[in-house]
Formats: sequence, C-alpha cells, structure tokens
Amino acid sequence: MEMGNDVALSVRNLKTYIYTNNRCNRALDGVSFEIRQGKTLCIVGESGCGKSVTAASIMQLLPTLSRIEDGEITYHGPDGPVRIDALERDGAKMRAIRGKEIAMIFQDPMTALNPVYSIGFQIKEMLRYHTSLGRKDRHSKAIDLLRSMGIPLPERRVDEYPHLYSGGMRQRAMIAIAMSCNPRILIADEPTTALDVTIQAQIFELMDTLKRENGTAIMLITHDMGVVAELADDVAVMYMGNIVEAGPVGKVLRKPVHPYTRALLDSIPVLGRGKDQEIKAIPGQTPDPYNRPTGCQFADRCAYRVSACDEMPPETMVADDHRVMCWRYQEFMADAAE
Amino acid sequence: MLTYIARRLLTLIPMVIVISFLIYLGLELTPGDAVSHMIPPDAYGSMDEDRLQELRESLGLGKPFLVRYWIWISGVLQGDFGYSLAGGVPISKIFLDRLPATLELSIAALLISTVLGSILGTISALTRGSLTDQSLTVVGMLGVSIPEFFFGLVAILIFALNLEWLPVGGRTLPGYDSFWDRLPHLVMPAMVLSIMMTAGVMRYARSSMLDALSRDFIRTARSKGMPEWRVNILHGFRVALTPVIVLIGFRLPVLIGGSVIIEQVFQWPGIGKEFVSAVRSQDYPLVMMVALFSVLAVLVASLIVDLLTAIIDPRVRLGD
Ligand SMILES: Nc1ncnc2c1ncn2[C@@H]1O[C@H](COP(=O)(O)OP(=O)(O)O)[C@@H](O)[C@H]1O
Ligand SMILES: [Mg+2]
Repeated sequence: MEMGNDVALSVRNLKTYIYTNNRCNRALDGVSFEIRQGKTLCIVGESGCGKSVTAASIMQLLPTLSRIEDGEITYHGPDGPVRIDALERDGAKMRAIRGKEIAMIFQDPMTALNPVYSIGFQIKEMLRYHTSLGRKDRHSKAIDLLRSMGIPLPERRVDEYPHLYSGGMRQRAMIAIAMSCNPRILIADEPTTALDVTIQAQIFELMDTLKRENGTAIMLITHDMGVVAELADDVAVMYMGNIVEAGPVGKVLRKPVHPYTRALLDSIPVLGRGKDQEIKAIPGQTPDPYNRPTGCQFADRCAYRVSACDEMPPETMVADDHRVMCWRYQEFMADAAE
Repeated sequence: MLTYIARRLLTLIPMVIVISFLIYLGLELTPGDAVSHMIPPDAYGSMDEDRLQELRESLGLGKPFLVRYWIWISGVLQGDFGYSLAGGVPISKIFLDRLPATLELSIAALLISTVLGSILGTISALTRGSLTDQSLTVVGMLGVSIPEFFFGLVAILIFALNLEWLPVGGRTLPGYDSFWDRLPHLVMPAMVLSIMMTAGVMRYARSSMLDALSRDFIRTARSKGMPEWRVNILHGFRVALTPVIVLIGFRLPVLIGGSVIIEQVFQWPGIGKEFVSAVRSQDYPLVMMVALFSVLAVLVASLIVDLLTAIIDPRVRLGD
C-alpha cells in the first residue's frame, strides 16, 4: 500500500508558528503525514491541537502573523511535485492550486458563504477562474453540480441566495463549490460540527461517494472518533502540534499504542459496545500553547508518565505503516497485541 | 416593491401632520409674534393697543391656536404655502428660486462624501496599521471635530483670496448660466460641506470593511483561489457597503444642517441662507415651511435608503 506514487500530498516535519503579542505559539511542531490518492485521511484531536493550522498551512491561508518555519509540504500534482511551502502566499501559483487542485470546505456553512451573492454566482466564480468554460456552460455546470450534491430543484435554487438554504443545504452548496473543478484533494475542516446529527450523516455519505466516484483524496478534520471509524482509511492523532500516532484506521483504532489515542477512544461511546460501557473523560487540560512542556506534550495528563517523558520522544515506526511518538511504545504494543 | 413604496409614502402623511404640529407649536411658544417684528421697536412702544390688535386680527393672529394651525396645514396640504412676511412673496416662489441651488450643493456634497469616504475608508482598512491608515485616521478625526464654517473660511482665504483659483462665493455670475459655468462656484462649498460627512463615512467604511474582511466568507473566497482584488472588493467591500449606505441615510440631517451654515459662509443663494434670514426676521410662515421641508427631505431620504438597502442586500425583504 505505501508505494509513494499514489501519494497526493506529503507533509514533512512541518513547523508552523503563530505570533501574537510578541509571543510565539508553536502551533505545529514537526508534523509529518501523507494524503493518499482516493483515500480519506482523518486528523483527530482535541480542539486547539493544530488541526486547522495544518489545513491552513497546506492552503497557505495562515493568519498574517504566522510562518512556516521549517519542513516541507509537497503537492504531487499532474505536472509533478510542487513545493507548496515555497510558493508565495497569495501569488498566482498558489492561487492556481487553491480551489483547482486542493479545495477546502469549512466548519460553519452559515458563515462560509458570502450572503450577498447567489449560490450559483459563488460556484461559477470558481469555474470562471479555473476552467475555460463559457458563461452558459458555467451556468449549466453549476446546476449539474448542485443536482449531484442532492439539492432539489437546482435550476431554481442556483439563483437563490445562501440565506434561503438550510444549514445542511449550505454545506452541500459549499461542497459543490469545492468539487466544481474536480480537485485532487478535498480538505474538510470539521464540516459537520455546526449541523444536526442526521444532516451530518448525509454530508459524510456525500463526501464518501465523491471520494469513490471521483477518486478525490480527502483530508477530514474531526474531533469525533466515531466519524473516524466510519470514514477513515488512514488516521493521524494530533496532540499539541504533534502527530502522536498515525496509521491505517484498523490498526490505530483497534490496536492503539499511544496513551493519548487510547484516552481519546475511551472518552467516546462506541457503537455496538452496549449501554454500560465505561466512558472516561481525559483528565487534566491541554497545556498553555505559549508555554508548552519541553518533553512529551501529553506527559502531564498521562497515567504512564516516567522520567524519560521530560524529553521529546522520537517518532517511531511500530509497523511499516504505523507510527507512534511515545517512549514506552514497546510496552503498549505488547498489551495492544493481547 | 411598488406597494411597499406606496405604503411608505402614505405613512408619510400622518408623520408630516404630527411634525408640522410640533413645528407650529414650537414657534407659537417663542417670544414675540409677527406683529412685534413688523413694526419698528420705537414705533411699537408708542402705538396704541387697539391698532396692534387690529393688525393681529387682520393677520388672523387673533384666532385660537388650533384653528390657526388647521388653516395653515390644510393650506399646505393643498399646495398653498402662504406668503413670506418679508415682502409678501409667495413662499412657493421662494422655494422654486432657492431650492435648485440647495439641492445642487447637497447632492454634490453627498456624492463627494460617499465616493471619497468609501474609497478612503477601504484603503484605510486594507492597509490597516500602516502609515497611510494612521494618517487617514488622524485626518478623519480632525474632519469630524472641526466645525465646517472654519474650514469654509480657511478655504476662502487660501483658494479664493490668496491663490485666486476659485470665486469667493455666490453661485453664478450674471450671463453665465450653464452648469459648467457654475462649476467653479460649486467646488469650494461642496467640498467644505462634504468634509464632515466624508470623514464620518470614511471612519465608518473603515470599520465596516474591517468587519467584512474578518468574516469567514473572505477565507472561503481565498480558498477558492480568487485574486486579492476580487477577495477585497467583490467579496469584502460589497458586503461592507450596506451599513455604509444606511449610515449615509442617517447622516442626511447633518448635511442639511451643514448646508445652512455653508450657504451663509459662501453666500450660496439656497434655502439654507433664506432660512437664516427668515429666522432673524421672525418670518414665521417661511421658517415653518423650510423646517417642514427639511423634515420631509429626511423622511424621503430614509425611504430611498431602505429601497437601496433592499436592492444591494438580498437578505433584506421589504415587507409587503
Ligand atoms: N488565527 C489565529 N491567531 C492566533 N492563534 C491561532 C490562530 N489560529 C490558531 N491559533 C492557535 O494555534 C493553535 C492550534 O489551533 P487550531 O489549529 O485552530 O486548533 P484545532 O485543532 O482546534 O483546529 C492553538 O493554540 C490556537 O490558539
Ligand atoms: Mg479547528
């Protein structure tokens, strides 16, 4: 599976720092992962761990006072690899990738669409910049897109404004915009957090269909382990700017090695485990991002802390596709195997 | 839309009646009356009460307050604006003569302040924190805090008296009647009148623009690979525009008030200048009509603002 040529995007040792009030927040402190063509990579972690900053780094949509300090982001496009981190933020090359090659949908569909333009306008604007379609073709393509996203009466709704769409429909419209130029990668940053549970399932189903039909690689950001179990091919578990565990969904969810992954899994109800399962909240709080521990970021909340944890643990491959960042991984591997 | 406009226009009638009553009442309560002004003070003292009373009766001043009000307002509603006490000129004729000048001046000032204010405010927001932004902020603060007549006098001193680029005042010279002939006369009063409003619009446009730029759809537009001008102008400015239009509507009374002063400073032959002399000479019929007219102008302007808002913001539905 891990062939390299089916990789759509690779991130190596990415360090993105955000500066506020002359203080430095090392939001991403050496993050590495790959998004495979036609697969879904789920990034999970508590809020504030750097999931959105990871997405923003890939799209070069970071806040003004922030910088990719180190590492590389490589997009493996049709014309060979492109180093995204080396591109000018809002330069023509980056803009040609945004939307066309890598598209993104956001958490709150209520605010992500511009209220004063019709849904059609917001789709067609994308087609206008990234395709050579004429005016009429753009219009019919916009209708087709809405129809394939499951919007009823697309001929009429294409000219309607966002406020006439429900939350779920807006997210569908947002996905229509994102998918309009058939991107190779779709980044979805908690796309259903703001929606009802039933609508959530519909949106995920839609995304899954798009992945299968168009071969789009999906990077799905979520803090919901249930979603991961449903949709992911690969999982990366993030904690305070590091990926503490990553691998195929089967291995990470069934044989988690890192104590944080285990704690996350214990903190949610799992379907099928019955009603009287134990749900344990993760003790303690995430550390102050401006004053991070020097060693393992999770150490303060970890039940298995030892003195070695005062040093940052290295990333270790525990299988050829399973990676973990913990000093005591061997012990945990042993009990995971039981 | 049409029914909405019709309904709004109909609601103007009761409002005009209430406001006109207040104006009438206000003038009733001021000391002195028309008669005391028509007669020179030294003669007034020596005149006997009967003669004065006779004069009052002949002017209709003897009738009860409400009756007088009714005579006045029913006349106004039928298009009979009455006569100015100074010279007995029909007030409708004064309006016809003076109104175009006032409209010319205020529309020019409105256009200047809207366009200039929005552009400067947008530039300020886009270059936030830069030297440009900071200087514009300071200039804007001076603009809203220094009275207009001061700017007017300084402008006359510099551009009319020292540099001799523009005429000192007036609206036109005899024999020059086209708009282009009048333009040099219009420049200074319109610019000076627009200063305060420009500064206000600029400050408001800046914050409205900053607010728009911080919204999620701006990030969406960038994530779609749109060029920066499109993100800022088509997505940002377009959304920032609605509150600015509303603000301009609310500021119209300020403009009307300002034009009274500016017309005085530049000897601009408009309603405002007429108003000042009417107040001085206690020319009640004229004062009332000008006041009533200003109120009407503000009401109509707010209707226009509502229509404009409905046009530029799809979320606004005019209730019909
Ligand atoms: N625009 C921003 N300005 C300042 N700090 C930010 C900004 N966005 C994110 N951060 C900081 O970066 C860290 C990671 O945040 P984020 O990626 O948004 O977390 P999440 O995993 O919840 O998406 C947090 O410490 C957060 O405070
Ligand atoms: Mg986030």
